[in-house]
Amino acid sequence: MTVPNPARPCVERRGFLIALGGVMASLPAIAAAQDANTLPGATMGGDGYIPVRRPPKPDAAAILSRAERDAAERKLACPCPCTLDVFTCRTSMPCGFSPRMHSDVVSLAEGGYSEAEILAFFEEEYGEVVRMAPRAQGFNLFGWLAPFLAILTGGLLIMWMLRGWKRNAADGATSDVHPLPVDATEDEMARLDRAVRGEER
Amino acid sequence: MILLGELSLWIALLMTGWAATVSFAGGRLRRPDLVASGERAIYASTVFVALASAGLITALVTHDFSLRYVASYTSANLPFVYTITAFWGGQAGSMLFWCLILAIYAAIAVFSNRRSNRELMPWVTGTVAAVLFFFLLTTALKSNQFARLDFLPPDGRGMNPQLQNPGMAAHPPNLYLGLVATTIPFAFAVAALITRRLDGAWLAAVRRWALVSWFFLTVGIVLGMWWAYVELGWGGYWAWDPVENSSLLPWLTGTAFLHSIMVQEKRGMLKKWNVVLVIATFLLSILGTFITRSGVITSVHSFAQSPVGAWFGTFLLLSIIASSYLVATRLRDLETPVELESMVSREAAFLYNNLLLVGMAFSVLWGTLFPIISEAVRGTKITVGAPFFNAVNVPLGLLLLALTGIGPLIAWRKASTRNLKRQFAVPLTAGVVMAAALLALGMRDGYALMTYSLGAFVIGTIAQEFYKGVNARRRMYGEGAPSAFVRLVSRNRRRYGGYVVHFGVVVLFAGFAGMAFREEFDINLEPGESFTAADPYGDEWRFTSNGVSVYETLNRFTTASALDMQRNGEPQGLLVSEKRQYVDTFGNPTFEPSTEVGILSTWRQDVYLVFVGVTGTETAEVRLTFNPLVMWVWLGGALMAIGGLIVMWPQAERRKAQSGYMASLSPRVAEAEARALEGV
Repeated sequence: MTVPNPARPCVERRGFLIALGGVMASLPAIAAAQDANTLPGATMGGDGYIPVRRPPKPDAAAILSRAERDAAERKLACPCPCTLDVFTCRTSMPCGFSPRMHSDVVSLAEGGYSEAEILAFFEEEYGEVVRMAPRAQGFNLFGWLAPFLAILTGGLLIMWMLRGWKRNAADGATSDVHPLPVDATEDEMARLDRAVRGEER
Repeated sequence: MILLGELSLWIALLMTGWAATVSFAGGRLRRPDLVASGERAIYASTVFVALASAGLITALVTHDFSLRYVASYTSANLPFVYTITAFWGGQAGSMLFWCLILAIYAAIAVFSNRRSNRELMPWVTGTVAAVLFFFLLTTALKSNQFARLDFLPPDGRGMNPQLQNPGMAAHPPNLYLGLVATTIPFAFAVAALITRRLDGAWLAAVRRWALVSWFFLTVGIVLGMWWAYVELGWGGYWAWDPVENSSLLPWLTGTAFLHSIMVQEKRGMLKKWNVVLVIATFLLSILGTFITRSGVITSVHSFAQSPVGAWFGTFLLLSIIASSYLVATRLRDLETPVELESMVSREAAFLYNNLLLVGMAFSVLWGTLFPIISEAVRGTKITVGAPFFNAVNVPLGLLLLALTGIGPLIAWRKASTRNLKRQFAVPLTAGVVMAAALLALGMRDGYALMTYSLGAFVIGTIAQEFYKGVNARRRMYGEGAPSAFVRLVSRNRRRYGGYVVHFGVVVLFAGFAGMAFREEFDINLEPGESFTAADPYGDEWRFTSNGVSVYETLNRFTTASALDMQRNGEPQGLLVSEKRQYVDTFGNPTFEPSTEVGILSTWRQDVYLVFVGVTGTETAEVRLTFNPLVMWVWLGGALMAIGGLIVMWPQAERRKAQSGYMASLSPRVAEAEARALEGV
């Protein structure tokens, strides 16, 4: 059994400071990217609204049902600070964006465009920020996978730890630990019974 | 009183500075006089922070609009209750409110440990005082609620209409009580690390504080969900908004700690992990405060961008550095010889429970910060909204729900195959029967099906645990079932209170899954016109417009739409939704129009009406939603809070006497009763 030595830290101060320096060096890049999830200057008032209009397709007929059109609106982020999608924001917030973006979606749907085309038109005008979630490609794919990878790694780490602890048990590393015997005599159980009932203190 | 309040703020600042300095010095030099001085300074700080708060409340109640804060968040016609809630309604006031709670907590922690944990207390007092000093310094220098205007306005700006809701009186205080409470366990962890006294004593001291934090965070989060649902008018209760997320993060790690602490208590394992969880929970609560107050991430909930953001960023960074250093240099002290008899044991289940809870915390934090990271890497702005969070967290939540049922069925140390078969038979049957019944009834939504089936499995587990416990008591003591039940819970509060929390989680998840079946309709109705729709249960509803009305009340002009409701031909009453334009004392509009929703709540579903506006002269444009099982969400939250109270409730003296007696019996007897009550 290893006895911890309180006098000697297991991580040297120099190592800690080097690691700290690395973290500090990366901070400016992150700080420069703040305010990332909204359009610059976007307010509830709708400053920054960009009309998304396209000519209807020849012999256009709406190919999206109302439910499908609503679903498309749910995939569009309202640029106001609500952090909601266009469909949800437009009836609840005093927003200058979502009602107008809704009109654009309705117009495009009536012009015969599909959901993918409508989303692409909005992305052309507003940029990728208009999608409620990033597309799972490139660096953003890493964003989607990172939580699962982290949990998978954690799970494997736990398995590895458990195996190590199990080996300790097999080796009798802490042989001073024994489960208590559980059998009690009739007399002891009777004494316990009286104690629990408050007849004996 | 206002002047006294302002003065008190500065005196409190000096007092906490003194408390931090002499406490650390007392701990370092082992000088009891300095330690005592630090503790007395904490009590004094509490008094002065309370006086500062009283000063601000006096200014609010007396409408002293010469104070910038009072003029910014209240008006002469603001209802009294909201005049009081303005204390925490704005940036500067909420900072002082935070200080008040922290000061009271600090005083309680110092008082309750006046005869215990004396080796740790100088460092505990010093750490809490340092945190309080930072908050008071930020308040005094960067966000002073006593700052005055150069002129005396005739009236204030008033309060944002969305804050004029009963939720304002309950949600922020509970959330703050929970977030601030994370400071005390953090202080104990720091003290234990500094002194290298990393045995179980510090954990015992922080367990109740961790529970207090968890309890208030739970209540605060659920109240926030309710508030969003009834006030914001978008028909839901959780939007994965960055500020919502920031309140969830410490709750997740705090919940993980409350589970992993049991492993250390029972088996002496996970010492490092528990220290890390306590520190992470505090840091995440500070991170949440930073997100809310810095303007780094946009949210409808956040305070306006202000200079305190940089202060909080610096404080967070310093806290991370200091605690990382302490943990890194004490890793050897945290090492314990660990052995595990079996991979199938309760301690292993707790580890996976912790993995999922911390994994969820990571995914929420990752999703919240990923827009910043992505822009830093790619230079392109992106949005990470509900689709991401749902896609990642729903499967993790279901796994966690499964573990909620599995964990209690597995014995500590090692579970035999026979034991597992016996333990799992009833809960598994309950889950399978539920799945079969729902499939037969036509439910095809995969996640909902899994939620209800796993819910039945967990309820099967809980029912079995209670049944075995009650039966054991009846067998051992000859008690009747009701008294056996009451005594079972009252004498094993941690365990059975925990099961009540688990039951609340099941009910909560059932409510969440109900939203998979919501139905929404956007409709325009002229007066007298009707709209017919089927709800998710197949009942036919008929809504008839009673027209649009316009009227004026105390501090607002209101436009309302009223719908007469019938379900399968039976009258269900009137549903009214409003658009409100708030005005100041002179009748001038003060904020953007806000929406008041109309809700008919039943156990089956909510009928949710949002008045969007008027088309033409009298045509009401509304959104109608059937939201199944929303009330179950509130019930689940209430059950979790009740369970938390049961766990936290102090044990009666009789129990202590009995415990003492049991200790005098042979260990075999104590173990026998424990085993009998465990039913394994």
